[in-house]
Amino acid sequence: MINRRPSFLVYGLLGAFVLGSAFPFYWSYLVASRDNSVLTGDFTLVPGGNFWANATRVFDTIPFWKALGNSFIVSGTVTVSVVLLSALAGFAFAKLRFRGRGVLFLFVVTTLAVPTQLGIIPLYMAMAEFGWAGELEAVIVPNLVTAFGVFWMRQYLVDAVPDELVEAARMDGCSLWRTFWHVGMPAARPAAAMLGVFTFMQSWNDFLWPLVVLNADNPTLQVALEKLQSGYYVDYSLVLAGTTLATVPVLIIFLVLGRQIVAGVMQGAVKG
Amino acid sequence: MTAVLPEVGRGREQEPLPQPARRYRLSKLDNKVSPYLFVAPFFVLFGAIGLFPLLYTAYVSLFDWEVGADDPAFIGLDNYRTLFQDAQFWKALFNTFSIFVLSSAPQIVVAVAIAALLNENLRARTGWRMGVLLPYVASLVALTIIFGNLFGPQYGLVNTVLSAVGISPVDWQASTFGSHVAIASMVNWRWTGYNALIVLAAMQAIPREVHEAALVDGAGSLRRFFSITLPMLKPTLIFVIVTSTIGGLQIFTEPKLYEPSGGSGGGAEHQYQTVVLYLYQTAFQGLDLGYASSIAWVLFLIVIAVAGLNFLITRRAVR
Amino acid sequence: MRQRWVSVLICAAVSAAATTACGSGGASQTPDGKTELTIATFNEFGYEDLFKEYEAAHPDVKITQRKTGQGQPHHQNLFTKLGAGSGLADIEAIEEGYLSQVMAKAGQFNDLKEIGPKIEDGRWLQWKTDAVTTKDGKLIGYGTDIGPLAMCYRKDLFQQAGLPSDPEGVKALFSTWDSYFAAGDQFIAKVPGVAWFDSAAQVFNAMHNQHKVGYYDRDDKLVVETNSDIKADWTAVTGAVTKGQSARLAAFSNEWNTGFKLGKFATKTCPSWMLGVVESQAGPENKGKWAVTDAFPNGGGNWGGSYLSVPKQSKNAKKAAELAAWLTAPDQQIKAFKAKGTFPSQVKALDAPALLEQTNAYFGDVKAGALFAVQAKKVTAAQYKGPKDGEIQETVFSPALQSVEQGKNADEAWRTAVQGAEKAAK
Repeated sequence: MINRRPSFLVYGLLGAFVLGSAFPFYWSYLVASRDNSVLTGDFTLVPGGNFWANATRVFDTIPFWKALGNSFIVSGTVTVSVVLLSALAGFAFAKLRFRGRGVLFLFVVTTLAVPTQLGIIPLYMAMAEFGWAGELEAVIVPNLVTAFGVFWMRQYLVDAVPDELVEAARMDGCSLWRTFWHVGMPAARPAAAMLGVFTFMQSWNDFLWPLVVLNADNPTLQVALEKLQSGYYVDYSLVLAGTTLATVPVLIIFLVLGRQIVAGVMQGAVKG
Repeated sequence: MTAVLPEVGRGREQEPLPQPARRYRLSKLDNKVSPYLFVAPFFVLFGAIGLFPLLYTAYVSLFDWEVGADDPAFIGLDNYRTLFQDAQFWKALFNTFSIFVLSSAPQIVVAVAIAALLNENLRARTGWRMGVLLPYVASLVALTIIFGNLFGPQYGLVNTVLSAVGISPVDWQASTFGSHVAIASMVNWRWTGYNALIVLAAMQAIPREVHEAALVDGAGSLRRFFSITLPMLKPTLIFVIVTSTIGGLQIFTEPKLYEPSGGSGGGAEHQYQTVVLYLYQTAFQGLDLGYASSIAWVLFLIVIAVAGLNFLITRRAVR
Repeated sequence: MRQRWVSVLICAAVSAAATTACGSGGASQTPDGKTELTIATFNEFGYEDLFKEYEAAHPDVKITQRKTGQGQPHHQNLFTKLGAGSGLADIEAIEEGYLSQVMAKAGQFNDLKEIGPKIEDGRWLQWKTDAVTTKDGKLIGYGTDIGPLAMCYRKDLFQQAGLPSDPEGVKALFSTWDSYFAAGDQFIAKVPGVAWFDSAAQVFNAMHNQHKVGYYDRDDKLVVETNSDIKADWTAVTGAVTKGQSARLAAFSNEWNTGFKLGKFATKTCPSWMLGVVESQAGPENKGKWAVTDAFPNGGGNWGGSYLSVPKQSKNAKKAAELAAWLTAPDQQIKAFKAKGTFPSQVKALDAPALLEQTNAYFGDVKAGALFAVQAKKVTAAQYKGPKDGEIQETVFSPALQSVEQGKNADEAWRTAVQGAEKAAK
């Protein structure tokens, strides 16, 4: 039964769900390939031929490539760091015994509940104090490890790594670091892959904090894209051409890395 | 900090024949210290960056503090006293809970169902997985327009459809319940796929042998799901429920986008203004940072209480 | 002063983590010894070419523009950095809608009369300057552009209702608010399914701003309840709503855009920049149907336009003020008008040929520049704005009017509005 291909019903249900999920992307492209009139009455589902003209206007209006590079630096660094540091801390909370473990973990979860909207004023003060205002460090450093990541990794590793495996590694003379690296990390791969995807996208789409803290000549992609909305009325074909262009790199990454991510997931499943 | 750790590992590797006593001592030290080193990055970063905003907000909440004011007056707990008598705050709290309930319950059920479907032996597995995650990358500008068009009270698509099938149209802006439903559907659209993937990752971790053993015992697929899969998902479901409680009570983006003219009042009579939206309005439109800080702290405590309660309930319910 | 303990706290935390040294903010000098001036704007000010011109004339200055697309994130950024005590640009643009919030924090901005260069008397329209002058006479910003109000209307729908439809003939309808609402009654009786105006708040705000005294008196006392002008406006607008004159479309919403396209209302309070909005929303298929006339009930009005201010945070305040003064001189502002259509607030610029000759094809080749120049001069005194004026308009009165459009009883909504204003002003 495990290897049997699922029925059409499964594909149908999933297909409907994915179609609903994908619609805004198609629709963004649709508006980007036409003009604003699609939005007010002239409803259609057939794309027009203006996409490249609109895309060219995007490249002329904002420093697209520079912003794209910055976004890759920021999201890439943050993702690698969050995944590694969260897995490390999650492993410790899930599998190692140490004094204060419960309290410290509760503290991690508690920090999730802090509303962040108000935080940008004191956070800006802190960044200005560090001399990072206007620099990419200001969007990278505060996000290097997240409570969300630690919590997620801990919950996953609790069951994914049998205690006996950790014990066995310790008996073989592995240090805790090696135990983590050779036992914890392989088991964490599926969860790490998910966390990586979430972190990357979150960071990629972050807007308000980068807008406040970065200089206009050194923006991330979302900050740069906002400039397409200037004017008393918004030219949505231009704005959505910009957002479509900004989504393409993310989709390419997933297509290229998708196999690896799935491989990681499957491998973890077999091992676990 | 992390740069030190690999060296510890390498050091052990290069020891060809460790003497038992030394090895024991080192390992004892490793046992004692390493766990703290593993969790240290989070706490150091939090201490350096996360803690300050928290303390700052607590401090500011004791003042009549306007953004950019020259010298704010200390007023003790007055902001909190005002807050508990503030009808708008209680309304916002009600709205928050209402939207939270309307969104999280269906979301988690559907997420588990989608995860179960994705866990089947599908063709083009990656494609499907990335497909359900698409809303997570969608641009907020596009969403604003789409949901604005769907739920427009006068020319919206949903009302057009309702009228066509003979149901009287709903004013999705003016009605409290209507606006909550509309916002909850926006939340569900954005986050169900995301939660489905989280649950899926946990399903993948369930050893195949467990399923096969049950299969041999002749358990049907539905029964296998309820008596094997679901209990084994417990830590993950706790995770999903706690994080979606925390996220749901801090809901901000969706009601903000739903306001047709882009303000943060949450409707003409605040019928869908959530607590964080109220906090935001107080801070950045009213520029009353002191009062906004007291809202932030009260919300923080409420979120902790509800998340804790949910945690306890979930732990008991899912066995 | 209150930054002190902040520094201490952060430095303590950081020295534990041992990353960066704690120092004061960066110097605003470029490596080649030029003074760097930053200017934060939003939307389109049309200054890009002017910066180059200024840099060519002042080799010791390098200008960096921080441009935000929309006004809302720009001002949130402004208030965040005002609260944080650092990070503002040397010149910050302020939109008229946010001015009262900024004027309430006037202490954080430089008095341009004190640090700025000598500026000829009467450069700006009087009301434009009055609005940005504090009670003790400090000038917080230099005026850039304005949004003088005229009336836009649908010629074809007016004809259908049997109303006059040529720009001269309609003036009688738009001479007072009473005549405006009376014409509305006539209109909706004749043309079913089409409203007279788009949204109650749009009309109310224009009426409200014509009074000498608004929500506050000059002693910053809230007078919402005792100011009979406000109540009279309220009664007139909500009365019109009850009779069905409002299309009940919140300004700048999706439905509002659709309303233009479908022709769901016959008149629109029209600041100069609104012509572009109408054209883009109503679309080519409605070309020739919209017209604009140089009349506005009870005289004139203004909606929109900005100022350039120099925050106290600036380390080059004097040079920044010089640049801001130069940018807001009539000659430069005319160039900005040519570049991006920002309507100048400078008296001399209103007589410039480039402005007077501007026409708008969508509105039947009307001489739009000249028309709005006339309207700009009709604006009389600037209403005194109290500390929470902007907040009361945006978060109290506009939503209250919207609630009446959604079916709430007007008297109840009035009580809610009064209470809301008192809460905002507490």
